[in-house]
Amino acid sequence: MSRITAVAVFVLAVAASACSAPPAGPLPDAPTPTTLEEIETELAASTTPTVVNVWASWCLPCRSEAPLIADAVAAHPQVRFIGLNVRDSPGDAQAFLGEFLADVDMEHFADRGGRIPIELGATSGVPVTFFYRAGGDQAAVHLGIIDEPTMARLLDEIDR
Amino acid sequence: MEFSLLGAAAVAVFAFWAMLRWEAKRGNAAGCAVDLWDAALVSAAGGLLVGRLVAMTQAGINPITDPGQILLVRSGVSTPAAAIATLVIFTFVARRDLVTAADAIAPAALAGLAGWHAGCIVTGSCLGTESSLPWARALEGSDVTRHPVELYTAVGMAAAAILLALWKAHGRPPPGSVAGTALFAAGAMRLVTEPMRVSLGGGPVWLYGAAMIAGAAITVGSVVRRRRSVRR
Repeated sequence: MSRITAVAVFVLAVAASACSAPPAGPLPDAPTPTTLEEIETELAASTTPTVVNVWASWCLPCRSEAPLIADAVAAHPQVRFIGLNVRDSPGDAQAFLGEFLADVDMEHFADRGGRIPIELGATSGVPVTFFYRAGGDQAAVHLGIIDEPTMARLLDEIDR
Repeated sequence: MEFSLLGAAAVAVFAFWAMLRWEAKRGNAAGCAVDLWDAALVSAAGGLLVGRLVAMTQAGINPITDPGQILLVRSGVSTPAAAIATLVIFTFVARRDLVTAADAIAPAALAGLAGWHAGCIVTGSCLGTESSLPWARALEGSDVTRHPVELYTAVGMAAAAILLALWKAHGRPPPGSVAGTALFAAGAMRLVTEPMRVSLGGGPVWLYGAAMIAGAAITVGSVVRRRRSVRR
Protein backbone atom coordinates (compact mmCIF):
# COMPACT_ATOMS: atom_id res chain seq x y z
CA MET A 1 0.00 0.00 0.00
CA SER A 2 1.44 3.37 -0.96
CA ARG A 3 1.97 6.04 1.66
CA ILE A 4 -0.74 8.27 0.14
CA THR A 5 -3.30 5.43 0.26
CA ALA A 6 -2.41 4.68 3.87
CA VAL A 7 -2.81 8.34 4.84
CA ALA A 8 -6.12 8.54 2.98
CA VAL A 9 -7.46 5.43 4.75
CA PHE A 10 -6.34 6.81 8.12
CA VAL A 11 -8.02 10.19 7.49
CA LEU A 12 -11.25 8.51 6.36
CA ALA A 13 -11.25 6.25 9.41
CA VAL A 14 -10.77 9.22 11.75
CA ALA A 15 -13.49 11.18 9.96
CA ALA A 16 -15.85 8.22 10.14
CA SER A 17 -15.32 7.63 13.83
CA ALA A 18 -15.65 11.36 14.58
CA CYS A 19 -18.89 11.62 12.63
CA SER A 20 -20.41 8.55 14.24
CA ALA A 21 -19.48 9.37 17.81
CA PRO A 22 -22.40 8.95 20.24
CA PRO A 23 -23.95 12.25 21.33
CA ALA A 24 -22.70 13.78 24.54
CA GLY A 25 -25.05 14.18 27.52
CA PRO A 26 -27.84 12.02 28.91
CA LEU A 27 -29.96 9.91 26.57
CA PRO A 28 -33.58 10.97 25.97
CA ASP A 29 -36.30 9.02 27.75
CA ALA A 30 -37.35 5.72 26.22
CA PRO A 31 -40.67 5.84 24.31
CA THR A 32 -43.72 5.35 26.56
CA PRO A 33 -45.59 2.06 25.99
CA THR A 34 -49.05 2.64 24.54
CA THR A 35 -52.09 0.91 23.06
CA LEU A 36 -54.24 1.44 19.98
CA GLU A 37 -57.08 2.82 22.13
CA GLU A 38 -54.77 5.40 23.73
CA ILE A 39 -53.43 6.53 20.37
CA GLU A 40 -56.92 6.80 18.86
CA THR A 41 -58.15 8.75 21.90
CA GLU A 42 -55.15 11.11 21.60
CA LEU A 43 -55.86 11.68 17.89
CA ALA A 44 -59.60 12.23 18.38
CA ALA A 45 -59.00 14.72 21.18
CA SER A 46 -56.31 16.62 19.30
CA THR A 47 -57.20 20.21 18.44
CA THR A 48 -54.24 20.50 16.08
CA PRO A 49 -53.20 18.52 12.99
CA THR A 50 -51.10 15.51 13.92
CA VAL A 51 -48.41 13.48 12.18
CA VAL A 52 -47.63 9.99 13.44
CA ASN A 53 -44.28 8.68 12.25
CA VAL A 54 -43.65 4.98 12.77
CA TRP A 55 -40.00 4.11 13.29
CA ALA A 56 -37.64 1.50 14.73
CA SER A 57 -33.97 1.59 15.62
CA TRP A 58 -33.26 -1.44 13.41
CA CYS A 59 -34.89 0.21 10.38
CA LEU A 60 -32.22 1.60 8.01
CA PRO A 61 -34.55 3.98 6.10
CA CYS A 62 -35.80 5.38 9.44
CA ARG A 63 -32.29 6.63 10.15
CA SER A 64 -32.24 8.37 6.79
CA GLU A 65 -35.73 9.78 7.31
CA ALA A 66 -35.12 11.18 10.80
CA PRO A 67 -33.46 14.46 9.66
CA LEU A 68 -36.47 15.19 7.45
CA ILE A 69 -38.81 14.60 10.39
CA ALA A 70 -36.71 17.04 12.42
CA ASP A 71 -36.97 19.63 9.62
CA ALA A 72 -40.73 19.13 9.40
CA VAL A 73 -41.13 19.63 13.15
CA ALA A 74 -39.15 22.86 12.94
CA ALA A 75 -41.07 24.12 9.88
CA HIS A 76 -44.56 23.35 11.27
CA PRO A 77 -44.57 24.16 15.00
CA GLN A 78 -48.39 24.22 15.02
CA VAL A 79 -48.54 20.55 13.97
CA ARG A 80 -48.21 17.87 16.64
CA PHE A 81 -45.65 15.17 15.80
CA ILE A 82 -45.84 11.77 17.44
CA GLY A 83 -43.21 9.07 17.03
CA LEU A 84 -44.40 5.48 17.28
CA ASN A 85 -41.52 3.10 17.96
CA VAL A 86 -42.38 -0.48 16.98
CA ARG A 87 -40.91 -3.92 17.72
CA ASP A 88 -37.92 -2.44 19.48
CA SER A 89 -36.14 -2.61 22.81
CA PRO A 90 -36.24 0.48 25.08
CA GLY A 91 -32.45 0.72 25.08
CA ASP A 92 -32.10 0.60 21.30
CA ALA A 93 -34.95 3.12 20.92
CA GLN A 94 -33.26 5.47 23.38
CA ALA A 95 -29.97 5.22 21.50
CA PHE A 96 -31.76 5.99 18.21
CA LEU A 97 -33.49 9.02 19.71
CA GLY A 98 -30.21 10.23 21.19
CA GLU A 99 -28.44 9.94 17.84
CA PHE A 100 -31.10 11.24 15.44
CA LEU A 101 -33.94 13.05 17.22
CA ALA A 102 -32.39 14.29 20.46
CA ASP A 103 -33.47 17.94 20.28
CA VAL A 104 -36.65 17.46 18.28
CA ASP A 105 -39.88 18.56 19.94
CA MET A 106 -42.03 15.44 19.57
CA GLU A 107 -43.48 12.75 21.81
CA HIS A 108 -42.55 9.10 21.34
CA PHE A 109 -44.64 6.06 22.18
CA ALA A 110 -43.72 2.39 21.99
CA ASP A 111 -45.69 -0.46 20.46
CA ARG A 112 -43.67 -3.58 21.23
CA GLY A 113 -46.00 -5.88 19.27
CA GLY A 114 -46.11 -3.64 16.19
CA ARG A 115 -49.91 -4.02 15.70
CA ILE A 116 -50.92 -0.34 16.02
CA PRO A 117 -49.66 0.81 12.58
CA ILE A 118 -51.54 -2.07 10.92
CA GLU A 119 -54.74 -1.13 12.78
CA LEU A 120 -54.26 2.50 11.71
CA GLY A 121 -54.04 1.49 8.05
CA ALA A 122 -50.41 0.61 7.27
CA THR A 123 -49.99 -2.21 4.80
CA SER A 124 -46.19 -2.41 4.83
CA GLY A 125 -43.31 -2.28 7.28
CA VAL A 126 -41.55 0.74 8.74
CA PRO A 127 -41.19 3.59 8.14
CA VAL A 128 -44.80 4.69 7.78
CA THR A 129 -46.18 8.19 8.29
CA PHE A 130 -49.83 8.98 9.06
CA PHE A 131 -51.30 12.45 8.59
CA TYR A 132 -54.36 13.53 10.59
CA ARG A 133 -56.44 16.68 10.52
CA ALA A 134 -57.46 18.25 13.85
CA GLY A 135 -60.03 15.94 15.43
CA GLY A 136 -58.40 12.74 14.24
CA ASP A 137 -59.65 12.53 10.63
CA GLN A 138 -56.98 10.61 8.70
CA ALA A 139 -55.88 12.61 5.63
CA ALA A 140 -53.13 10.38 4.25
CA VAL A 141 -50.92 7.40 4.92
CA HIS A 142 -47.44 7.38 3.41
CA LEU A 143 -45.85 3.95 3.23
CA GLY A 144 -42.07 3.75 3.19
CA ILE A 145 -39.50 6.48 3.43
CA ILE A 146 -41.02 9.90 2.79
CA ASP A 147 -39.36 12.57 0.67
CA GLU A 148 -39.30 16.31 1.30
CA PRO A 149 -41.86 17.39 -1.34
CA THR A 150 -44.36 14.75 -0.21
CA MET A 151 -43.91 15.66 3.44
CA ALA A 152 -44.33 19.37 2.65
CA ARG A 153 -47.43 18.78 0.51
CA LEU A 154 -49.17 16.52 3.04
CA LEU A 155 -48.36 18.91 5.90
CA ASP A 156 -49.82 21.74 3.82
CA GLU A 157 -52.90 19.57 3.30
CA ILE A 158 -53.61 19.01 7.02
CA ASP A 159 -52.29 22.32 8.34
CA ARG A 160 -54.81 24.74 6.82
CA MET B 1 -40.06 -1.22 -0.95
CA GLU B 2 -41.03 1.61 -3.24
CA PHE B 3 -39.64 1.89 -6.74
CA SER B 4 -41.56 4.82 -8.19
CA LEU B 5 -38.40 6.99 -8.32
CA LEU B 6 -36.87 4.41 -10.64
CA GLY B 7 -39.97 4.80 -12.81
CA ALA B 8 -39.46 8.56 -12.95
CA ALA B 9 -35.79 8.03 -13.80
CA ALA B 10 -36.82 5.64 -16.59
CA VAL B 11 -39.11 8.34 -18.06
CA ALA B 12 -36.19 10.80 -17.94
CA VAL B 13 -33.78 8.39 -19.63
CA PHE B 14 -36.36 7.57 -22.31
CA ALA B 15 -37.00 11.28 -23.02
CA PHE B 16 -33.24 11.89 -23.26
CA TRP B 17 -32.75 8.90 -25.56
CA ALA B 18 -35.71 9.83 -27.78
CA MET B 19 -34.48 13.41 -28.27
CA LEU B 20 -30.91 12.28 -28.94
CA ARG B 21 -32.17 9.77 -31.51
CA TRP B 22 -34.46 12.32 -33.16
CA GLU B 23 -31.60 14.80 -33.43
CA ALA B 24 -29.16 12.15 -34.68
CA LYS B 25 -31.32 11.71 -37.77
CA ARG B 26 -30.77 15.42 -38.50
CA GLY B 27 -26.99 15.17 -38.41
CA ASN B 28 -26.55 16.15 -34.75
CA ALA B 29 -22.97 16.11 -33.41
CA ALA B 30 -21.43 15.10 -36.74
CA GLY B 31 -17.70 14.74 -36.16
CA CYS B 32 -18.00 15.18 -32.39
CA ALA B 33 -15.18 13.31 -30.65
CA VAL B 34 -17.30 12.50 -27.59
CA ASP B 35 -19.81 9.66 -27.17
CA LEU B 36 -22.82 11.66 -25.98
CA TRP B 37 -24.69 8.73 -24.45
CA ASP B 38 -21.69 7.65 -22.35
CA ALA B 39 -20.90 11.23 -21.31
CA ALA B 40 -24.49 11.81 -20.23
CA LEU B 41 -24.77 8.60 -18.23
CA VAL B 42 -21.44 9.09 -16.44
CA SER B 43 -22.25 12.75 -15.66
CA ALA B 44 -25.77 12.04 -14.41
CA ALA B 45 -24.73 9.06 -12.29
CA GLY B 46 -21.76 10.96 -10.84
CA GLY B 47 -23.90 14.02 -10.15
CA LEU B 48 -26.54 11.93 -8.42
CA LEU B 49 -23.93 10.24 -6.24
CA VAL B 50 -22.34 13.55 -5.22
CA GLY B 51 -25.77 15.06 -4.54
CA ARG B 52 -26.73 12.11 -2.35
CA LEU B 53 -23.43 12.17 -0.42
CA VAL B 54 -23.79 15.91 0.24
CA ALA B 55 -27.42 15.47 1.37
CA MET B 56 -26.38 12.67 3.74
CA THR B 57 -23.55 14.73 5.19
CA GLN B 58 -25.86 17.74 5.65
CA ALA B 59 -28.33 15.48 7.48
CA GLY B 60 -25.60 14.26 9.83
CA ILE B 61 -25.42 10.74 8.35
CA ASN B 62 -21.93 9.47 7.74
CA PRO B 63 -21.60 7.87 4.28
CA ILE B 64 -18.55 5.89 5.43
CA THR B 65 -20.17 4.26 8.45
CA ASP B 66 -23.61 4.00 6.78
CA PRO B 67 -22.80 3.19 3.12
CA GLY B 68 -26.11 1.37 2.66
CA GLN B 69 -27.96 4.66 3.01
CA ILE B 70 -26.35 6.01 -0.17
CA LEU B 71 -28.92 3.90 -2.05
CA LEU B 72 -31.86 5.54 -0.23
CA VAL B 73 -32.10 8.28 -2.83
CA ARG B 74 -35.66 9.16 -1.83
CA SER B 75 -34.53 10.49 1.52
CA GLY B 76 -32.76 13.37 -0.19
CA VAL B 77 -30.36 14.54 -2.88
CA SER B 78 -28.76 17.98 -2.74
CA THR B 79 -29.93 19.64 -5.97
CA PRO B 80 -27.14 22.27 -6.09
CA ALA B 81 -24.41 19.69 -5.44
CA ALA B 82 -25.88 17.25 -7.97
CA ALA B 83 -26.32 19.92 -10.66
CA ILE B 84 -22.84 21.40 -10.22
CA ALA B 85 -21.20 17.96 -10.05
CA THR B 86 -23.02 16.86 -13.22
CA LEU B 87 -21.75 19.90 -15.13
CA VAL B 88 -18.20 19.49 -13.78
CA ILE B 89 -18.10 15.78 -14.65
CA PHE B 90 -19.50 16.45 -18.13
CA THR B 91 -16.90 19.16 -18.68
CA PHE B 92 -14.18 16.67 -17.76
CA VAL B 93 -15.57 13.73 -19.75
CA ALA B 94 -16.20 15.85 -22.87
CA ARG B 95 -13.06 17.99 -22.57
CA ARG B 96 -11.70 16.88 -25.99
CA ASP B 97 -14.59 18.57 -27.82
CA LEU B 98 -16.53 20.37 -25.11
CA VAL B 99 -18.42 23.06 -27.03
CA THR B 100 -19.60 20.72 -29.80
CA ALA B 101 -20.59 18.04 -27.28
CA ALA B 102 -22.42 20.54 -25.06
CA ASP B 103 -24.41 21.91 -28.00
CA ALA B 104 -25.15 18.40 -29.22
CA ILE B 105 -26.41 17.15 -25.87
CA ALA B 106 -28.22 20.27 -24.61
CA PRO B 107 -31.72 19.69 -26.10
CA ALA B 108 -31.62 16.02 -25.06
CA ALA B 109 -30.55 17.02 -21.54
CA LEU B 110 -33.49 19.44 -21.33
CA ALA B 111 -35.80 16.70 -22.61
CA GLY B 112 -34.40 14.36 -19.95
CA LEU B 113 -35.09 16.96 -17.26
CA ALA B 114 -38.61 17.37 -18.67
CA GLY B 115 -39.03 13.60 -18.44
CA TRP B 116 -37.80 13.62 -14.85
CA HIS B 117 -40.42 16.23 -13.92
CA ALA B 118 -43.14 14.42 -15.90
CA GLY B 119 -42.18 11.33 -13.89
CA CYS B 120 -44.17 12.91 -11.05
CA ILE B 121 -47.11 11.03 -12.56
CA VAL B 122 -45.33 7.82 -11.57
CA THR B 123 -44.24 9.07 -8.14
CA GLY B 124 -47.55 10.83 -7.43
CA SER B 125 -45.87 14.13 -6.61
CA CYS B 126 -47.07 16.53 -9.31
CA LEU B 127 -49.07 18.92 -7.15
CA GLY B 128 -48.00 22.20 -5.59
CA THR B 129 -49.77 25.15 -4.05
CA GLU B 130 -53.52 25.68 -3.98
CA SER B 131 -55.20 26.79 -7.21
CA SER B 132 -58.70 27.19 -8.62
CA LEU B 133 -57.66 26.93 -12.27
CA PRO B 134 -59.70 24.45 -14.33
CA TRP B 135 -56.81 22.00 -14.65
CA ALA B 136 -55.91 22.07 -10.95
CA ARG B 137 -56.11 18.67 -9.27
CA ALA B 138 -56.64 17.53 -5.68
CA LEU B 139 -54.81 14.92 -3.65
CA GLU B 140 -56.75 11.72 -3.06
CA GLY B 141 -59.43 12.28 -0.43
CA SER B 142 -58.98 16.06 -0.47
CA ASP B 143 -61.14 18.87 -1.80
CA VAL B 144 -58.19 21.31 -2.07
CA THR B 145 -57.22 21.64 -5.73
CA ARG B 146 -53.59 22.40 -6.56
CA HIS B 147 -51.30 23.44 -9.42
CA PRO B 148 -49.77 20.43 -11.23
CA VAL B 149 -46.50 22.35 -10.94
CA GLU B 150 -44.20 19.53 -11.98
CA LEU B 151 -46.14 19.16 -15.22
CA TYR B 152 -45.79 22.91 -15.89
CA THR B 153 -42.03 22.48 -15.55
CA ALA B 154 -42.04 19.38 -17.74
CA VAL B 155 -44.05 21.07 -20.51
CA GLY B 156 -41.87 24.20 -20.41
CA MET B 157 -38.63 22.24 -20.57
CA ALA B 158 -39.93 19.94 -23.33
CA ALA B 159 -41.01 22.95 -25.40
CA ALA B 160 -37.59 24.57 -24.89
CA ALA B 161 -35.86 21.32 -25.90
CA ILE B 162 -37.86 21.04 -29.13
CA LEU B 163 -37.30 24.71 -30.01
CA LEU B 164 -33.55 24.35 -29.42
CA ALA B 165 -33.41 21.20 -31.56
CA LEU B 166 -35.24 22.98 -34.37
CA TRP B 167 -32.94 26.02 -34.05
CA LYS B 168 -29.95 23.72 -34.34
CA ALA B 169 -31.40 21.89 -37.34
CA HIS B 170 -32.67 24.87 -39.31
CA GLY B 171 -30.64 27.85 -38.09
CA ARG B 172 -26.91 28.26 -37.71
CA PRO B 173 -26.51 28.94 -33.98
CA PRO B 174 -23.03 30.11 -32.89
CA PRO B 175 -21.01 27.38 -31.11
CA GLY B 176 -21.97 27.25 -27.44
CA SER B 177 -25.21 29.19 -27.82
CA VAL B 178 -27.48 26.12 -27.77
CA ALA B 179 -25.90 24.86 -24.53
CA GLY B 180 -26.07 28.34 -23.01
CA THR B 181 -29.72 28.78 -23.95
CA ALA B 182 -30.57 25.33 -22.56
CA LEU B 183 -28.91 26.20 -19.25
CA PHE B 184 -30.84 29.48 -19.17
CA ALA B 185 -34.13 27.71 -19.96
CA ALA B 186 -33.62 25.05 -17.28
CA GLY B 187 -32.91 27.70 -14.62
CA ALA B 188 -35.78 29.91 -15.80
CA MET B 189 -38.36 27.11 -15.76
CA ARG B 190 -37.41 26.13 -12.22
CA LEU B 191 -37.35 29.75 -11.04
CA VAL B 192 -40.73 30.60 -12.60
CA THR B 193 -42.44 27.55 -11.11
CA GLU B 194 -40.75 27.78 -7.69
CA PRO B 195 -43.53 29.92 -6.08
CA MET B 196 -46.00 27.16 -6.96
CA ARG B 197 -44.02 24.45 -5.17
CA VAL B 198 -44.64 23.44 -1.57
CA SER B 199 -41.49 22.74 0.43
CA LEU B 200 -40.26 22.76 3.99
CA GLY B 201 -37.41 25.19 3.51
CA GLY B 202 -37.73 26.63 -0.02
CA GLY B 203 -35.82 25.56 -3.11
CA PRO B 204 -32.29 26.63 -4.10
CA VAL B 205 -33.43 29.79 -5.92
CA TRP B 206 -29.83 31.05 -6.09
CA LEU B 207 -28.92 28.00 -8.19
CA TYR B 208 -31.69 28.70 -10.71
CA GLY B 209 -30.66 32.36 -10.89
CA ALA B 210 -27.01 31.39 -11.32
CA ALA B 211 -27.93 28.94 -14.11
CA MET B 212 -29.85 31.70 -15.90
CA ILE B 213 -26.98 34.19 -15.60
CA ALA B 214 -24.36 31.64 -16.68
CA GLY B 215 -26.53 30.45 -19.57
CA ALA B 216 -27.21 34.00 -20.76
CA ALA B 217 -23.51 34.88 -20.51
CA ILE B 218 -22.49 31.81 -22.56
CA THR B 219 -25.09 32.55 -25.24
CA VAL B 220 -24.29 36.26 -25.51
CA GLY B 221 -20.57 35.49 -25.50
CA SER B 222 -20.95 33.00 -28.34
CA VAL B 223 -23.01 35.44 -30.42
CA VAL B 224 -20.47 38.25 -29.91
CA ARG B 225 -17.59 35.92 -30.82
CA ARG B 226 -19.39 34.87 -34.02
CA ARG B 227 -19.99 38.53 -35.05
CA ARG B 228 -16.36 39.45 -34.43
CA SER B 229 -15.11 36.54 -36.52
CA VAL B 230 -17.52 37.44 -39.34
CA ARG B 231 -16.25 41.09 -39.37
CA ARG B 232 -12.66 39.90 -39.63
